[in-house]
Amino acid sequence: MAAGYGWVQSTAIHAGDFVFVSGIVALDPDSGERLNGTLTSEAHRVFLNLKLVLEAAGSSLERLVQVRAMIYDRIEYDALNRVYRQYVPQGPPARTVWSVRIIDAFKVQLDAVALI
Amino acid sequence: MPVEREIIVPKNERLNVSRNFNLPHSPGVRAGDFIFLSGMLSTDPQTGERSPGTMAHETRQTLTNMRHLLESAGSSLERVVKINVLLYDMLEFENMNAVYRQFFPVDPPARTTCGVQLSAGMKIEIECIALAG
Repeated sequence: MAAGYGWVQSTAIHAGDFVFVSGIVALDPDSGERLNGTLTSEAHRVFLNLKLVLEAAGSSLERLVQVRAMIYDRIEYDALNRVYRQYVPQGPPARTVWSVRIIDAFKVQLDAVALI
Repeated sequence: MPVEREIIVPKNERLNVSRNFNLPHSPGVRAGDFIFLSGMLSTDPQTGERSPGTMAHETRQTLTNMRHLLESAGSSLERVVKINVLLYDMLEFENMNAVYRQFFPVDPPARTTCGVQLSAGMKIEIECIALAG
């Protein structure tokens, strides 16, 4: 998903028992188009993309161990949580929410470590 | 055989902030030989409420709670390999460091420090990865 924009990164790296995933943003997984929207719409897309990446690596959302959830403004913290809990309803991963500026004016980016 | 994934929680339930505040994360996850902790804020271990104060106070309380959580899972501060420290203002870097070094007097873990926006007027948030056991 990152290759089309010339970003110097791999989407994910499998190392030992772990998969380390680059920051995932709301790109269309088929066309690569940026799907900038509300924090809620972007968060759904990001989780679906993360699921694709993890499953391609032999992992899954249930095997996530740590997430850095980056949002563009702290005021969206609860909006993030509403989407977030739908995708990791049981035994969610460790998480820290970082309020930062994100590439291409995206509103949310997930950086993740999971077990294979 | 897939590697075991286990949720870890503090022995002191008042420090189980994600459960007490109904947040969608776990205090920590053990994955094989490693423990991954969520970002921790300064929390009063007697009441479970946030314990805001000076940078020195919040750093000391957060690292004390982190030690408790790691020890609840059979690890310790000495087993931390990577720490991310988030500060509300990088001008407070030395105020954080002065307390931080008391908790890691020898061979401190790898660390990154960033200035970010934090929740609820707190001054510091700390997350880490440690070796289990």
